[in-house]
Amino acid sequence: TLGIPFPNCLHLPQAWLDTQDRRLGHYVSGKWLKPEHRNSVPCQDPITGESLASCLQAQAEDVVAAVEVAGKAFENWSGLPGASRAQHLIRLAKMIQKHQRLLWTLESLVTGRAVREIRDKDVPLAQQLLQYHAVQACTQEEVLAGWEPMGVVGLILSPTFSFLEMMWRICPALAVGCTVVVLVPPASPTPLLLAQLAGELGSFPGILNVISGPASLGPVLASQPRVQKVAFCGAVEEGRALRRTLAGRGAELGLALGTESLLVLTEAADVDSAVEGVVDAAWSDRSAVRPGGLRLLIQESVWDETMRRLQERMARLRAGRGLDGAVDMGARGAAAHDLAQRYVREARSEGAQVFQAGDVPSDSPFFPPTLVSDLLPASPCSQAEVPWPVVAASRFRTAKEALAMANRTPRGGSASVWSERLGQALELGYGLQVGTVWINAHGLRNSEVPTGGCKESGSSWHGGLDGLYEYLRPSGTPGRLAYFSESMNYDTFGLAVPSTLPAGTHLHTSPHSSPTAPYGLFIGGRFQAPGARSSRPIQDSQGKLHSYVAEGGAKDIRGAVEAAHQATPGWVSQSPGARASLLWALASALERRESALASRLERHGVEFKAAKVEVELSVRQLRAWGARAQAQGHVLQVAELKGPVLRLREPLGVLAIVCPDEWPLLAFVSLLAAALAHGNSVVLVPSGACPIPALEVCQDMATLLPAGLVNVVTGDRDHLTRCLALHQDIQALWYFGSAQGSQFVEWASAGNLKPVWVNRGCPRAWDQEAKGAGPELGLRAARTKALWLPMGD
Amino acid sequence: MSARNWGTELDLSWISKIQVNQPAVLRRAEQIQTRRTVKKEWQAAWLLKAVTFIDLTTLSGDDTSSNVQRLCYKAKYPIREDLLKALNMHDKGITTAAVCVYPARVSDAVKALKTAGCTIPVASVATGFPAGQTHLKTRLEEIRLAVEDGATEIDVVINRTLVLTGQWEALYDEIRQFRKACGEAHLKTILATGELASLTNVYKASMIAMMAGSDFIKTSTGKETVNATFPVAIVMLRAIRDFFWKTGNKIGFKPAGGIRSAKDSLAWLSLIKEELGDEWLTPELFRIGASTLLSDIERQIYHHVTGRYAAYHDLAMC
Repeated sequence: TLGIPFPNCLHLPQAWLDTQDRRLGHYVSGKWLKPEHRNSVPCQDPITGESLASCLQAQAEDVVAAVEVAGKAFENWSGLPGASRAQHLIRLAKMIQKHQRLLWTLESLVTGRAVREIRDKDVPLAQQLLQYHAVQACTQEEVLAGWEPMGVVGLILSPTFSFLEMMWRICPALAVGCTVVVLVPPASPTPLLLAQLAGELGSFPGILNVISGPASLGPVLASQPRVQKVAFCGAVEEGRALRRTLAGRGAELGLALGTESLLVLTEAADVDSAVEGVVDAAWSDRSAVRPGGLRLLIQESVWDETMRRLQERMARLRAGRGLDGAVDMGARGAAAHDLAQRYVREARSEGAQVFQAGDVPSDSPFFPPTLVSDLLPASPCSQAEVPWPVVAASRFRTAKEALAMANRTPRGGSASVWSERLGQALELGYGLQVGTVWINAHGLRNSEVPTGGCKESGSSWHGGLDGLYEYLRPSGTPGRLAYFSESMNYDTFGLAVPSTLPAGTHLHTSPHSSPTAPYGLFIGGRFQAPGARSSRPIQDSQGKLHSYVAEGGAKDIRGAVEAAHQATPGWVSQSPGARASLLWALASALERRESALASRLERHGVEFKAAKVEVELSVRQLRAWGARAQAQGHVLQVAELKGPVLRLREPLGVLAIVCPDEWPLLAFVSLLAAALAHGNSVVLVPSGACPIPALEVCQDMATLLPAGLVNVVTGDRDHLTRCLALHQDIQALWYFGSAQGSQFVEWASAGNLKPVWVNRGCPRAWDQEAKGAGPELGLRAARTKALWLPMGD
Repeated sequence: MSARNWGTELDLSWISKIQVNQPAVLRRAEQIQTRRTVKKEWQAAWLLKAVTFIDLTTLSGDDTSSNVQRLCYKAKYPIREDLLKALNMHDKGITTAAVCVYPARVSDAVKALKTAGCTIPVASVATGFPAGQTHLKTRLEEIRLAVEDGATEIDVVINRTLVLTGQWEALYDEIRQFRKACGEAHLKTILATGELASLTNVYKASMIAMMAGSDFIKTSTGKETVNATFPVAIVMLRAIRDFFWKTGNKIGFKPAGGIRSAKDSLAWLSLIKEELGDEWLTPELFRIGASTLLSDIERQIYHHVTGRYAAYHDLAMC
């Protein structure tokens, strides 16, 4: 007798589509654009296949025009006081509130997602995001002094992500004064509706422009010269390709990649609640979690119990049309269905157990909730991303093993840990290499909490302060211009080392001058001979031979990275206080070495006074970063959550730094100090022209610092850069060198998607506070992790 | 009512390892209320079904035979005849599941129902309701007297002191004695969850009550400051499912206190359906303890049938 009705709420989105004659164009500069002679793609109801409207596909010229509009709007928008921008965002929030029913029915109709999630979670969150960022805009002059908006932001969304992902990115961008061009995949009307709502506010029409077009337009948008920042959210391989295309193009790239998340269920968990966590993560149509499947790690001792409860729970899930108010999950179109089907078939053939249940219509595009278990780590399915709506369960024996299994993937998005034992939960929460960890919950989100990732999930942030910095740069930084070189050959850049021969007499200017410079590669805490067993001459400012330095190569880089990895756990576990005191000790050692260092600099043409200043500044930098080591991370209090969210600042891991030629000592020390203060271990390539001061400092590091924490490799910079950029086990790379080198680094970093920071061939004023010791360094030297700790008894 | 639960031996390992995470349960409780909304004729069908789960209750100091009699009549005719006719449900014998009164009013209720010619069971609260702070001897005597007066269901309150001080064996023994005192009558054990301090305690008390032989576990007396809430219910339902998995015995569930609107009652039905399944959606295994709920359901059905909202005088008082 108990059936569940299908409420008739189609008329609203249909009526809206009718206002566009069922033909959607682009929304640019506060107007609908429907250019002639464009291909169009049908927007279909994912369940019935009925055509709802046709969507015009943009071409390159439409993208150019939209960027032009956003660029013009930027001049006005970025010049407004923060309070005025805040007002505008609040007006948009109210606009959304007034038309929320249209918004949620339209989104559900075209995506097939459960309307309940959109109505109860997404739409309120969209408003919350606008409100939060309005507050940030209002306090920007005060809190974010010293930073300015980057300019036009290009946002590229891929089909599996909901309109909320767009909100997460446009809100901070607009708040700080950027303007946005969004490229949405074909047939996504909701972002267009949002743009229309924003446009109908009347003022500032060009700040939010939405065009819809094929994925191939992504690089076109990204490489527009006016676009200063590109935010991309989509599949890992697409992100990699975009990273390569964008090398040398000028814009900063923020990636949010991958769709899978992780759940670790220990024997100390409230198993029933953890099972609900699995439902939230994989079978609830929540946009708060990544839109893919779930990797589930279950402790062996509770495996059977969990499986039984999970299967029982799955049987009660309902799938159906998203607009039906009583469904748990909708359908996501034929592509998602086929992906899931392929995965399941593959898993079966690899010997996995497959369990499917639930009240699900049997025809495509519906796909039943699926639980895949006993998939062995070595099988190909285990390596692949788990697709929606599949949960891939495997067992672990101890918490330590869980951590090892969880971290042994290239993905680093979000994870939840289920354990009632506080110590264990925190151990796992801190140990997981991901951007977000929820303890005993899954998929919570709030505008104040930064969300991001690491490893191949991309290192960009949205939400909280971290999300704002994505669209800001230190004031006075010149706009990013393309430094792209057509002639760049990625295959040969830095591949071969020019051979070096003995370069003449080793002259000492006077019998009292400095002793022989230290020789060797500083790896694993001591000076070593280079693998190539050859050396390169270093000339002084008069072109005479100053000394020889070791010629490092690929093998030496490998050794240095290994040494750094060995030193990492020890350094990470040091208290900030201990890190600070080591940096301070190094500062004192530098002070003692002042005259030697100054005379080395002098030989390279630095005036005596300036040389002294450079040494003094270097000492000061070490002390300053030492002091800052203690002030990391903070606690956030989030509105609807009882309990804190910890914003942790975690070390990146092994950080490679190619130091600039300018300020050979100061730049080296500044970069090193910032990296060490944040808990990283480092591999450095010192200034090419003047590497000796850095090697002098190594003599002190040999006695003061743990072996392997800092490794300094001299040699051909292009060659060493190539080795570092292509190394898969380096977690981040900072490059200060030529424009060509910068381009190569950006291109090569696509391999493991390590975050890179390049100077595009522009020198930096290291003696100025903002450049040498500013917050920018600190931001880049660590990554944020949000650790959610709901409380209650 | 279904087959009786004769209980099991006390096995403390069933409660020693249990973990209940309160914030997670709270989130689940919040979700479950919005995930299964029903409208129109489905809503009407669910509401009529809800009527059959109601233990129509009066537990006031000023109860007399006249209002008890009125209550019994309402139990037999819960929805206006013409409304049922419009729904074609007038000959389905829709009544509430039971009436529930204080021990001293049991004989009034039994008499009234007999006069009305129906077999709706009479439930009596007992064992020092609502606080349970009387001597065990008088608590047991109370049960016996109520059974003698004709009550076939006894709603006992547990001794909260024993829960808060962790005396689980003693709690088991007491409920065991209640069970014996009930004889053939059904034992419904009120956990008074508002006074048990934590959800973990709620789970443990539920499990002990079932091991000791309760046929139903019930959330609250309606007299605590916090009564039937969704988070508590989720924990109790999970305990019921665990007990069923361990023993094969289906134990009933009765939320009571604070359930006033038709909308609430629908949420409770969907909660049972979600957590335990359709088999539990029968008066043998699910009851709602309420006094004013029925009139709101009747108003909703009036609206469904006539398309108009009822005035108070359109429906009979109870």
